[in-house]
Amino acid sequence: MQEAQDISSVRREIVRAENVRKTFTLSRKQRAIEKSKTGKKVALDGLSFTAYEGEIYGLLGPNGAGKTTMLRILATLIRPDEGDARIAGHSVLKEPDAVRSSIGFLTSELKLEDFFTPAYLFGFFGKLHGMSDEFLAKRKDELFTKFGIDRFAEVKVGDLSTGMKQKVSIAVSIIHDPAVIIFDEPTNGLDVLTAKVVTDFLAEMKEQGKSIIVSTHIFSLVEKLCDRVGVIIDGRMAAEGTLPEVAGDRSLEDAFFDIYKRTVTGV
Amino acid sequence: MSNILTIIRKEFARFFKDKRLVIGTLILPGVLIFVLYTLLGSVFYDSNETYSAKVVHPSSVFAAVADPEGEESSFAFTEIGEDGIDSAKEEIRSGSLDLLIVFPENFDALLTEGEFSPVGGAPNVEIWYDSSSVSSSSAFSAVSAILDVLEDQASNRFDVNISAGGDLTSAEQAEASYYAMLLPFLILTFLYSGCMGIAPESIAGEKERGTIATLLVTPIKRSQLVIGKIVSLSVISSLSAISSFIGTFLSMPRLMGGSIGSALGSYSVGQYFALFAVMISAVLIIVSLISIISSYAKSVKEAASLSVPLMIVVMLVGISTMLFTTSAPAAFLIPVYNCVQVMAQIFSLQFSWVSLVITLVSNLVYIVLLVFLLTKMFKSEKVIFNQ
Repeated sequence: MQEAQDISSVRREIVRAENVRKTFTLSRKQRAIEKSKTGKKVALDGLSFTAYEGEIYGLLGPNGAGKTTMLRILATLIRPDEGDARIAGHSVLKEPDAVRSSIGFLTSELKLEDFFTPAYLFGFFGKLHGMSDEFLAKRKDELFTKFGIDRFAEVKVGDLSTGMKQKVSIAVSIIHDPAVIIFDEPTNGLDVLTAKVVTDFLAEMKEQGKSIIVSTHIFSLVEKLCDRVGVIIDGRMAAEGTLPEVAGDRSLEDAFFDIYKRTVTGV
Repeated sequence: MSNILTIIRKEFARFFKDKRLVIGTLILPGVLIFVLYTLLGSVFYDSNETYSAKVVHPSSVFAAVADPEGEESSFAFTEIGEDGIDSAKEEIRSGSLDLLIVFPENFDALLTEGEFSPVGGAPNVEIWYDSSSVSSSSAFSAVSAILDVLEDQASNRFDVNISAGGDLTSAEQAEASYYAMLLPFLILTFLYSGCMGIAPESIAGEKERGTIATLLVTPIKRSQLVIGKIVSLSVISSLSAISSFIGTFLSMPRLMGGSIGSALGSYSVGQYFALFAVMISAVLIIVSLISIISSYAKSVKEAASLSVPLMIVVMLVGISTMLFTTSAPAAFLIPVYNCVQVMAQIFSLQFSWVSLVITLVSNLVYIVLLVFLLTKMFKSEKVIFNQ
């Protein structure tokens, strides 16, 4: 414990969420499903966490805990009702453009237009990131080779397999070589081979000194990849720390269910 | 600025590299309008049709008017006796005959010697026809018109516009006022339908497919994205409108018996410049409005159905020049309506720079406001993620 804190104090904070609150107004249909009387759903209830430079930080939690909402706030797609988050020193509220320049954000909800080819999309997104032609060509070469996209560079995205689409999405999301990579449910819906490509990629990014935040409900993924983990339950941080700090000598799965029980029942 | 250009280039690539979109938006409208108007024209203006008519007690005066010698007649008259009346009526019912005319026995003498009699008391010309048959009712109208003229001549108390009097308009003005009514409506409709074909797909479609969120996590400013979209959609809508206009231009002689070409030749370069400026401002306003609807909508389908009420309003505004024109400066502050009125002024050769300037300046303000609103919408998670 002491040792972990020491490491934390010398490492630079790269992502810091402070007391983030986010409430959604429910539609009538959702209200019936959620059995909510107020018509509001609190997605994040004062969530705070810190991720340090060069580590993989995992947000672990069941469906509906608020993981995706938190990551969307980090990506500046939605704004927090209260609180703020800073990425590489930039506030998501005050400097959203600077935040977007320093992150690579990927979720299954972000799609690429089926009509275009990976080569075209690469050029398009590269320009939106303000990359020079030279840098763009270099990154394209690197990433297309790494993910095996080169053979499909001129095939329309709509004609690619699900796995190849995912690889193109990853390549596009990190085209500008961002310092921070934010990944929502990275292996969801992928076959074992593509999932392996993704986890290998995350490990490699870490080796390159990138800071990574992933959200997931898959324990093995956290155990395999993450340096530190934050357990989110009902929009609150239920436990946070390194894997040994959170899990102790048990498996992460057992530890999680203990934490869950404690948080939900209050015992 | 470079981000705006990147968005414009991407929108153009999306459109022009897609053969189906190009054919559906740029080629089909013009071709369909040409085919449709040409077909309509041939239905309305078929002057070669000959009506078949049977006549009892034929009149030589009537025949001289209806079937002048040396000219191609539109009637084929057959003389029959009184005993053929019933069978002729049957032929009309069955559609093999258009008309049966039964003149009084001494009709020609009546025209010169007949005395004035009250309605119902005078000798009667019977015309039998079938109003459910197009050719029969046209033949009836034609024959009635000829008989009206003959009746007028027989009991002439006064003439209208025979010895003096006439239309004081120049041919140019007459044609211009005709196009002043028609063209603003056509231009507006073409611009709107061109825009309807692409804007919902480009904005609501990107929302529906989740591709707009991918754009929104790049450092591009929302306002740059909005401006890039509006400019590219405006160019494509204008091209689509031009396609429809070419179709109209080519089919006009067949439909109206006139040519837009000769009318278009009567306008000055300055008027064309004014027309161009008004059309640009009109297309920008329409594209912005449909883009706002498309951003609000959850799907392309919803965007298209929400755009229909606005289309009805725009088309009603488009026909406003057929009902009234105005020169009150305040009227030129009303968006879309001002475009129609200025176009009408230009086409009717009564163009004023004041109304043009008021229109362009006020439209510029509206466009800026609409772009601002659309930028706000693109920033709102409720709008972008309202699936």
